[in-house]
Amino acid sequence: MVITGRLVLLALLGVVPVIVYPGITSILLWALLLTVLAILDLALAAVPRRLGITRTLPDGVRLGEECDSALVLRNDTQRRMRATFREAWQPSAGARNPEQSVDLPRGEARRRTVRLRPVRRGILRVDTVTVRSAGPLGLAARQITVPAPGVLRVLPAFHSKRHLPSKLRKLRELDGRSAVQLRGAGTEFDSLRDYVRGDDVRSIDWRATARRRDTVVRTWRPERDRRVVVVLDMSRTSAGRILDEPRLDTGIEAALLLSVLAERGGDKVHFLAFDRRLRARVDSTARGNLLRSLVTAMAPLEPELIEADWSRVPAEVRAASPHRSLVVLLTSLDSGSVEEGLLPALPGLTERHVVVVASVRDPRLEELRADRSTASATFRAAAAERALLDRAAVAQQLRLLGAEVVDAEPAELPPRLADTYIRLKAAGRL
Amino acid sequence: MSVRTRRPGGTAMSVRTRRPGASAVAASVDDAGGPEAMGDGGSAGATARHRVRRARPLVVGAAALAVIVLITLLSGTGEEGAPLSPENPGPEGARGVAQVLADEGVDVQRPGSFDEALALLDAGPATLFLNDARQYLSATQVATLTAAADRSVLATPGARQLTALEEDIELVGPLPFDPGNDTPPPEAACTDSRASAAGTITATGSLYSGPVECFPSAADDGTGGLYVTSTEGSVGVLGAPAVLANRSITADGNAALALQLLGFSPALVWFEPTGADVVAVGEGIDPLTLLPPWVDVLLVWLLVCAVLAMLWRGRRMGPLATEPLPVLVRAAETAEGRARLYQDARSVEHAAATLRSGTLTRLARRLRVDRSAPASEIIAAAAHRSGRPRDELEARLLHSPTTNRELVPWSQGLLDLEKEITPP
Repeated sequence: MVITGRLVLLALLGVVPVIVYPGITSILLWALLLTVLAILDLALAAVPRRLGITRTLPDGVRLGEECDSALVLRNDTQRRMRATFREAWQPSAGARNPEQSVDLPRGEARRRTVRLRPVRRGILRVDTVTVRSAGPLGLAARQITVPAPGVLRVLPAFHSKRHLPSKLRKLRELDGRSAVQLRGAGTEFDSLRDYVRGDDVRSIDWRATARRRDTVVRTWRPERDRRVVVVLDMSRTSAGRILDEPRLDTGIEAALLLSVLAERGGDKVHFLAFDRRLRARVDSTARGNLLRSLVTAMAPLEPELIEADWSRVPAEVRAASPHRSLVVLLTSLDSGSVEEGLLPALPGLTERHVVVVASVRDPRLEELRADRSTASATFRAAAAERALLDRAAVAQQLRLLGAEVVDAEPAELPPRLADTYIRLKAAGRL
Repeated sequence: MSVRTRRPGGTAMSVRTRRPGASAVAASVDDAGGPEAMGDGGSAGATARHRVRRARPLVVGAAALAVIVLITLLSGTGEEGAPLSPENPGPEGARGVAQVLADEGVDVQRPGSFDEALALLDAGPATLFLNDARQYLSATQVATLTAAADRSVLATPGARQLTALEEDIELVGPLPFDPGNDTPPPEAACTDSRASAAGTITATGSLYSGPVECFPSAADDGTGGLYVTSTEGSVGVLGAPAVLANRSITADGNAALALQLLGFSPALVWFEPTGADVVAVGEGIDPLTLLPPWVDVLLVWLLVCAVLAMLWRGRRMGPLATEPLPVLVRAAETAEGRARLYQDARSVEHAAATLRSGTLTRLARRLRVDRSAPASEIIAAAAHRSGRPRDELEARLLHSPTTNRELVPWSQGLLDLEKEITPP
């Protein structure tokens, strides 16, 4: 049972009889009046237990976009129901109007939408809907909480999508479509065509020229149907927040841009999320839209507070792609964890595959390094310097083991990783 | 239809609910996604029972608290603990004197209020013993009481309370503290027969001056007696009421004095005023009487309204939703932690070495020197680029500061040097 503001107002109206006829009798009479009215109202209120609730949620919503949770409320009683309901979304779902009122004639249903604007990627839940059904006088109401679980999948934002057109153009320039072919822009023989001014003289095919009267050049195209394996590290280091974003989310952005780009470039993409065991796997060879299956698989990923087991990565990569592939490891370059985890496992990968290690660099370290105003700041600068030196040393070790290292700030990492992919593809190293 | 629900109690239970009009549901839900949820699988009675069950520890706690408060209030009302109370058997009490007096046939009466005391005194020949340590009574009240009494003994009255007495008795001051207890107990040394009969008494309390001063002593502000009485002996002021206390009643001539003073009449009115006996001074009007009669009732009703408003605003729309928060750590936190370690350990040289190697690494990259080259090579290249003498650069780079004060300008110098030596 719930009392309403109207009952409180009615109680305040009792001030008049109390002043006009002072005494305990007027108080008791007015209290009796209030009680009788409230009980009457409660008795006449429609039973909220007989309200049917059906929820419709979208399959997924991208982070930063809005969506609606549609509720169909059906009055199964023989009375009109004046109900207020509240959908108990967790706060990060960003429900704009979780509490609404609805007037349901008997036996009818109404549709209400709760506008959601999620502020966090992941699986958001709603467990209950609370219904408050007021009586005809609006003095008292019945309230119950109905278990009505629902799940909303909030997909990664994919802000790096804006880099996609320019990177795709770069990729197409590698293809046989542009007028001027540079040697080295691809290694697979594509076709012969007439020489035009500006073509590299080294690409002239003298044998074909001898057969014809015109000068003929060879064109090359980048390899196709190569394999790209993106491994996303979900271990404890991915929980580190850099600027406003955990490393994991930046890694997801970079993985999305690279995967989409590689797929358009005609390569096969495999995505693995990994800490001590495989957390998610998406293959472009499977049916359906790659981007869609990627974001769906990435949505529930959360950093795990455990150390990654890199010794199992080569086996997982082999299981995903038995051939020579481009293996992209999205991880962090923190000295300790890399030296003990990734470095010993890396030779197993580099002997079969081309390996790129991509990592987010913290711009905060550069800020700390440059601030030497006080003694404390100078010690911080020294500590930041040490972290940067360690990082450089680790990157150097990785390069010595034959891996490419992409080390960039959060906003820069996805395009830089895409550039590295295009460069490797152009050089025919895939 | 069987619905699996989680009850707040935490147990999953299967509940069968009736669904009249299920066909209509199917029709209306065609376009909808999930299954229809209806009710929480309970009833109003079940909810009420659950609430009561959940509130039980709270109710038990409140009841226990109420019992404790009640017991404390009930046990604390007795006045046995007050000093010089005829019911107090403790060292500060005066039950000994009261019992001896009662055994001797004196009727010890304890009035609860000023009016009652006055009535008892008016009723017959009685001795008044007024023990007003907190000085609740006014001078007029004390004068009225002494006038009504056959004989009266006032225990350490305040100077204010003596002003209305017919006799000229005044407070001199407290007896100086005697830590060594080496002064001999004062002798009566006066004409009052009862004091002379006692001989000596224990010296404590305050000195008074008056027509007959017994047990004279000297205080800072002059001399006076521990027992002062009027010429005819009807009003006595006892400056040393401790002679009546159980602790010291047997010492010196205390008992003799006590029995002499209090056992004169067949009845003894032992009056200990309370706060209720205080009279208001002046002719002020009680402001409450100016208010209209309905104010009290209105306040009660407004209190009821306030409680209702609390109930209205305090009821939540259902349980709180929980937010499972992911683990997030600031990535630069390890660097900051290490900085504090450096600082706490005062490892200035270590910090300086790190800063120097960072600068050298960056210089090497800018000057296109191999990164594994020794410092001297990098410095040579830097000297060549900047045109500064090599010795100066060496002094700036390879100097090792030893204190915080040295470290800060030195490290700023490194930054300046880096800015100066720009890439070609």
